[in-house]
Amino acid sequence: MEQLINDLKQQIKEVLNLEELSLEDFDADAPLFADEGIGLDSIDVLEIIVLLEKQYGIRLANPKEGKAIFKSVRTIAEYVQANRKK
Amino acid sequence: MISVLSTNITSPLGLTTEQNYQAVFSGSTALRRYEGMWGLPEPFAASLFSDEQKAALALDGYTFFEALAIRSVREALSHLRLDVTSERVVFILSTTKGNVEEINTPRYYPSESASIIARNIGLTTTPIVVCNACVSGLSAQLLADHLLTANLYDYAIVVGAEVQSKFIVAGFQSLKAISEEPCRPFDMERNGLNPGEAAATIVFGKPSPRLGDVREGLYWNLVDGAACNDACHLVSPSPQGVGLTAAIETAMKGRDKKQLATICAHGTATLYNDQMESKAIEKAHLSDIPLSALKGYYGHTMGAAGVLETILSMRATDDGIVLATKGFMEPGVSGKVSINGEPRPIDKTAFLKVMSGFGGCNVTALYERGAGSMEQGAGSMEQGARGKVKLEKVQTVRFSSAEGTSPSDIYKQEIGNYPKFYKMDILSRLAFVAAEKVLSNSPLKDEDKKPALILFNHSSSIESDRRFLDTISRAEDFFPSPSAFVYTLPNIAAGEIAIRHQLLGETSFYILPEKDETLMQQILEATLGGTEARSVVSGWVDAESNTSYECELTIYSVKV
Repeated sequence: MEQLINDLKQQIKEVLNLEELSLEDFDADAPLFADEGIGLDSIDVLEIIVLLEKQYGIRLANPKEGKAIFKSVRTIAEYVQANRKK
Repeated sequence: MISVLSTNITSPLGLTTEQNYQAVFSGSTALRRYEGMWGLPEPFAASLFSDEQKAALALDGYTFFEALAIRSVREALSHLRLDVTSERVVFILSTTKGNVEEINTPRYYPSESASIIARNIGLTTTPIVVCNACVSGLSAQLLADHLLTANLYDYAIVVGAEVQSKFIVAGFQSLKAISEEPCRPFDMERNGLNPGEAAATIVFGKPSPRLGDVREGLYWNLVDGAACNDACHLVSPSPQGVGLTAAIETAMKGRDKKQLATICAHGTATLYNDQMESKAIEKAHLSDIPLSALKGYYGHTMGAAGVLETILSMRATDDGIVLATKGFMEPGVSGKVSINGEPRPIDKTAFLKVMSGFGGCNVTALYERGAGSMEQGAGSMEQGARGKVKLEKVQTVRFSSAEGTSPSDIYKQEIGNYPKFYKMDILSRLAFVAAEKVLSNSPLKDEDKKPALILFNHSSSIESDRRFLDTISRAEDFFPSPSAFVYTLPNIAAGEIAIRHQLLGETSFYILPEKDETLMQQILEATLGGTEARSVVSGWVDAESNTSYECELTIYSVKV
């Protein structure tokens, strides 16, 4: 699980161009979309959906399903672990 | 105010304005479902020309996009005796992606397409391409109004054209914005837009018997309009419709809403757009004006939409009809609007066209039928003539790849603390950094809440177009990137600046064959003469690639 969390942090940082964010400061439990967290927006959600499909073979057709999944890196990792196809 | 002298719509529903109006009036739609089209894994509904129609419209030596625009302009001109070779005729092309599939040839450049089309028609002046995302077709008409009112030209040929492609459809699919069923504007069940292809032309100018026009003195006139940015988000409208409300209020200032036959809505049938429009219309106190949304007939024809929907609204109003909003059954928006799934009779002489698009832009235009603009006591909605303005340079910032200055270095050394910078493509980074510098040294005056932001270039969004294309060109590795797609509209660069500095005025992006400073200055002065802005940020922001770019941005104050 920790390995998957670290992989996801790296992948998210890369696809979202979070250049100024160091992986050490990237808290796996911090809210991703709240103002106090990393502050991602709706285009970022869509980009993470593409990432999940590309890296893990998970297809999420409706971004609305993603609300619970995209709370934090940890919730994404849990979802990936349960649903990954590759 | 300028008068409409002639029009054409060339679409899958017909080759003339009249054929298109009759098709729409009788409830026809060109929308159908496509599966496996262009190798796209997901189905979509769209309004596309059939192979037979394409073959009939094709012209040897031209791309389909160019041929479509040429056909539309030529048909519109066939009703007039206009000397198009005159230096008093300007050609304005409105498109979002033009010849994007020609990215590896010079034809990719929108100004090159415009020049090819203009040469075929016989035009001799420098063509101007308006690339303002979904609002382009209405922006192009306002630009024509500015240029003609400033007496730089006597006639403007405005053509909006769009052909659909794997590029555009995959992009909107990656944003989850496309419906696989025919779209349902303002309806409870609406779930996205349908792409559409069409070309539509309006020839504007001063009516004159020598043009061979025999309409007994009644013309459609573009009497006013406005452009206002939301400064909220790159692809989502302000939930309260801030920019659209302001643009409607500006266009309607001092006018009597009782004259309005209809508000022709943007009505893309995405959840957010239609909801936002309903809020803006209610806030502008126009809830009781019949609303018509026309995407259920043609889909979203993007660069053509503003021109096409304006023409249909003129024709319907002439006919005493408010067109039905095809696809609408049950209201699905919270703002109060008067919308109907059936055509309704009406006896009025004006209408309002509104559009909103990516980059936060909102544009409105008010049209009224009346005497032509040459005659005394023209249209009853007409207000005083526009003042001439002079622009005074306050400050200029310049840098280019040739000097070895990179926007990232400038950002790191002089700006910082805006992590979104790293998400931007090269074009937005250039514009952002330059705007940051001119605006930090010469902040806008408090009294100017709505400064204009007008950017020009040659290379459109070529670097982002290449990047997005790379995510869709291999079937085994087909992962269209939504964030790359967003930047395939050059006016996103203006949107980034608007968000950062909360600029709520006009934001426009024009593409020219080259950095023509005289023409740019003329466009600026003409535009500022027609708006209330007291300052403008404008300049040349061009990126041929990540390593080859040029940027010069100036802040001007407007002297009346």
